Amino acid sequence: MASAEIETAVQEAVVGALGVGEDEATPDATLMDDLGAESIDLLDILFRIERSTGVKIQASDLGDYIQGGISDEEFGDADGIVSRKGLEHLQKVMPQIDADEYEGKLEAEKVISYFTVQNLADMVGERAAAAAG
Amino acid sequence: MPPPRQASLTVQVGVDIVGVERVARLVSAHPSAMEELFTPAEQAYCLRKRRRMEHLAGRFAGKEAVLKAIGTGMRRRMHWTEVEIVDGVAGRPRVELHGEVAEQARRRGVHGLDVSISHSDGLALAHAVALCDHGVPTGGGRAVSSH
Repeated sequence: MASAEIETAVQEAVVGALGVGEDEATPDATLMDDLGAESIDLLDILFRIERSTGVKIQASDLGDYIQGGISDEEFGDADGIVSRKGLEHLQKVMPQIDADEYEGKLEAEKVISYFTVQNLADMVGERAAAAAG
Repeated sequence: MPPPRQASLTVQVGVDIVGVERVARLVSAHPSAMEELFTPAEQAYCLRKRRRMEHLAGRFAGKEAVLKAIGTGMRRRMHWTEVEIVDGVAGRPRVELHGEVAEQARRRGVHGLDVSISHSDGLALAHAVALCDHGVPTGGGRAVSSH
């Protein structure tokens, strides 16, 4: 599946689930802060994506994708701030996060609020490529 | 020999409200949402009720409220069915935790949980309370969650 098709499918899922306009569901719009998605909306978006692309993603997979294989203890310190290792991983899956800019400032539990429509499309693309072998 | 641990009990609350129609639309459009969100016992309880969608929405709000009271939200490796709200004594809902949610609750020193659910005028509301002993080591570290 071409990345443009996936991006369209993700945008349509976001628009359909949240009732926002296509002009709002832009690639750099964050799902939770900008578009107001609640957890039930995330479920709806993920089910819509599954139906249109065949790629199954569960809500808990988002955290796994964002955090990679990094353990909780290595990703965030005891105060909940994302470590350098965590930031370097985040730059790969959420390129809008600059590791230098956010060092020592980014709370692990707030990372999801920076997750954009494009980040989700990239995740779906990665899963689709993996499934295709 | 380590000194006796000083228990530090606190109460943490979590509240959630959800539109009954929102839940109804989700499970109608995506039938597999039923299995992803609700355990067989929860489904059986709700589906035998006349106002089944109100009860399903109440269960969903209850799960969200419990995750908020525990302080995690929906974290990686967690599943919605790991917060199970079963029919307790005299119809009072009772919370049972499983899998990763139970493990996170243990790490956060959660000793007891209670939840109350109500629905009216198309909305379902749940209020959960967690009793926590912060003398229990948490193991440190924070992870990504999607509340």
